[in-house]
Amino acid sequence: MNAGANASRVLRVAGLRHRFGDRLAVDGVEFTVASGEIVGLVGRNGAGKTTTMRAVMGILQPQEGEITWRGHPVQFADRLRFGYMPEERGLYPQMKILPQLVYFARLCGLDRATAERRAGELLGRLDLAARAQDLTIALSHGNQQRVQLAVAMVHDPDLFVLDEPFAGLDPSVVDELSRILRAEADDGHAILFSSHQLDLVERLCDRVVVLEQGRVLVAGTLDELRDRLPRRLRVKVAAPSGWEQSLTGVRAESEDGEGVVLDLDSDADDQAVLAAAQAAGPVEQFGYERGHLVDVYRELVRR
Amino acid sequence: MSGTSSVWLVARREIDERLHSRTIRIVTAFSIVLVVAAIVAPSLFHKPAKPAQIALLYPSAQALAPELQRAASASGVRVHLVDLTSGPAARAQLRQKTLDVALIVSSGQAVAEVRQDIDPTLRAVIQAVVSEEHLRELLTVKGLSPAAVAQALTPTQLTVTTLQPAPPDQSAHVLAAIVTGLLLYMTIAMYGQAVAQGVAQEKTSRTAEVLLAVVRPSRLLAGKVLGIGLVGFLQIGLTVGAGLIANTLVKRAEIPSTVWLLLPMVLLWFLLGFALYAFACAAAGALVARQEEIGFVTMPILMFLVISFLLMYVAVATPNAWWLTVVSFVPPMAPVLMPVRIALVHVPAWQVALSATLTLAAAGLVAAIAARIYSFALVRGGARLSWGEALRLSRS
Repeated sequence: MNAGANASRVLRVAGLRHRFGDRLAVDGVEFTVASGEIVGLVGRNGAGKTTTMRAVMGILQPQEGEITWRGHPVQFADRLRFGYMPEERGLYPQMKILPQLVYFARLCGLDRATAERRAGELLGRLDLAARAQDLTIALSHGNQQRVQLAVAMVHDPDLFVLDEPFAGLDPSVVDELSRILRAEADDGHAILFSSHQLDLVERLCDRVVVLEQGRVLVAGTLDELRDRLPRRLRVKVAAPSGWEQSLTGVRAESEDGEGVVLDLDSDADDQAVLAAAQAAGPVEQFGYERGHLVDVYRELVRR
Repeated sequence: MSGTSSVWLVARREIDERLHSRTIRIVTAFSIVLVVAAIVAPSLFHKPAKPAQIALLYPSAQALAPELQRAASASGVRVHLVDLTSGPAARAQLRQKTLDVALIVSSGQAVAEVRQDIDPTLRAVIQAVVSEEHLRELLTVKGLSPAAVAQALTPTQLTVTTLQPAPPDQSAHVLAAIVTGLLLYMTIAMYGQAVAQGVAQEKTSRTAEVLLAVVRPSRLLAGKVLGIGLVGFLQIGLTVGAGLIANTLVKRAEIPSTVWLLLPMVLLWFLLGFALYAFACAAAGALVARQEEIGFVTMPILMFLVISFLLMYVAVATPNAWWLTVVSFVPPMAPVLMPVRIALVHVPAWQVALSATLTLAAAGLVAAIAARIYSFALVRGGARLSWGEALRLSRS
C-alpha cells in the first residue's frame, strides 16, 4: 500500500445486501476506499461488482447496508462530487463532445465558464481536442470510452466510481488511461474501479476487493493477498525428477523444461528442500516465484 | 446544484437538441402551410366581384349616371362608370375586356353593347333605369309636375319577413374547427411521442445511469417535459402567428371574432394537452427495453388523442350534440374537442374554465403517477415492463 494507507478512508461500504427477485446480488459486502487510493473490485460476472457500484452512486437503493462518505451516509450533494462511469456506457450519441462534457459538468454544479474550461482541458489531456465538435456517435469505441471517462472526470470529483472502464480497449489506450487514473489518485482522488482483467488490476490498484457470489472473498493490498498463496519454489536440478517426493509439506505443482514448481506448506522448511535438491544433483536454479493476482484469484475461487 | 437550475439545464439541452432537428423544422413548416392555406383558401374561392365597368355614351346616357349608381347600389351591384364618349373607343375597350357595358340611349330605345353577355342582375338594373327614365319623360310630356312624377315613380316599399332565419354560413367555422383539431392533435401527439422517445433513448443508451447519479429523477422528468413542451409551444405559436398574419393579409371580415378567441385557446389547450399526455408518454418511454418498443407502449395513451381527433369530424357535423358537450369535459379528449367546440359554437366561459381545470388536475395526477414509474423503471434492466407491472412495482 502506498500513500492511501495513512489517508482517511473516505468511502465506507458496510453490510451491503440486495436481492433481485430470488437472487441475492450482494450479500454483506464491506470495504473502504481512501483518498489517493485506487481500489479494484474483482470478480466474475454476477459477483456483485456492478450492483455495489450502482448502490454507491445511489442509482440503486440497497435493501440493507450503509454507505458513508467522510463519516456520514452519502447524501445527494455528495454524489455531485463523485464521478461515475457505468458498465454500459451512457452518452448522448447525437450530441457533440464538448457540449456533452459541459452539460454533465454543469449538472454537477459547475458554472458555464468553469465547465467549458475544464471540458476543454480534459479533451486536450485525453487527446480528443481535435474532435471536440464531433458527434459522439462518430467516434471509435476507444474514443467514446475516453469521452465517457472525461464525463466522469470533468467536475474534478473526489471519488471516481468506474465500472469496467477499460473493457474492450486496446493495450496502448489502457496504458494511457491507467496513467491518467494513477495521476488522479496521486492528486488525492479516491478511485474505485472494477475489472475482470486481473493483470490490469494488479498493475494499477493499491488494494483489491475480491467478490464472489455477492460476498467479499478477500480484501487487502496485493502483498497481503499474495501472502495467502502457498510459498512457491522453482527448482531446477540436473537429475531425474522425483527427488522431492520424500519431503513433507511440499507438493509438486507443475514441471517443465525450467524445472519443477513446488508449493510449500506454511511449516515446510525451504532449506530442507534445497538440501534434498543438492543431494539429487547439481542445482541450476533455486528461488521463490512471485505470485500474481490471477494465481491468488484461482486459489481463492478453487476453495 | 439547485433544483430549478438542474431542471432548466435539462430543459435547455432538450431545446438545443430539438431546435437542430430537421424533422421538427419540416413539421413546423408543414403546420404553418396548413394553417395559412386554411385561412387563405376560402378567400381565393370567394373572390368579391369586380365592379362592372360601364361607359355611358353621349349626353343622353350620361344623364342617367346618378340614377344608375343609385339603382345599382340598391340592387347590390357594384358599378364603375368609365369616362368614354365615342362608340369606337368603347368597342375597342369592350374587346380588351377593360369595359363591360357601353350604354347608348336615345328617345324610346336603349342599346347596351357588351362583348359576349351581360350579368342578369346588371341587365335588370340597366333595364329598370332606362324604363324609369322613359316613363319620366312620358309623364313629363303629359304635363305632370316634377313632384307628381317623382311621387309616381317612387316604388312601393316591399318588406320581407322571415319565419325561420337561414343559418349563418358555417363553412368558415367548420374549417376553423378542423384546422384547430388537426393542429392540436398533430402537435400534442408529436411532442408527446418525442418525450417518450427521449426517455427511451436515455434509458436504452444508459445515459440515464449517468444522469440519475447527479439529477433527481423528478427534476430530470420535469426538465425533459418542460424543454420539449417549450419547443412544441414555439412550433404551435409560430403556426398561430403565421395564421394571424395570413388572416390580416386576406382581410376576411367575418373571421376575426372567432380567430381572436380561437388562437389563444389553441395555445392554452396545447399546454394543457401536452402536460397531460407528456408525463404519461415519459412513463411509457421508461418501460421499454429497446427503442422499437416505443410505439407499443405509447399506443394506449395516444389512442385517446386519436379518438378525439376522429370525433372532431363528427363534431363539425353536429356541433350542438349533447355528447360533444360531455366529451369536451373529459380530460384526455378535452384538449382537442373543447377548442373544436369553441371554433364551432358559442361555448360559455364557465365551461371552458371547468374543462381546463379538470384537464390540469388530471395532468397533475398523471404526472405524480408517471414520476413514480419513471424513476423506478428508468434504470431497471431487463425486458419491457407492462403498464400493470410498472404500476405494481413502482408502488412497492
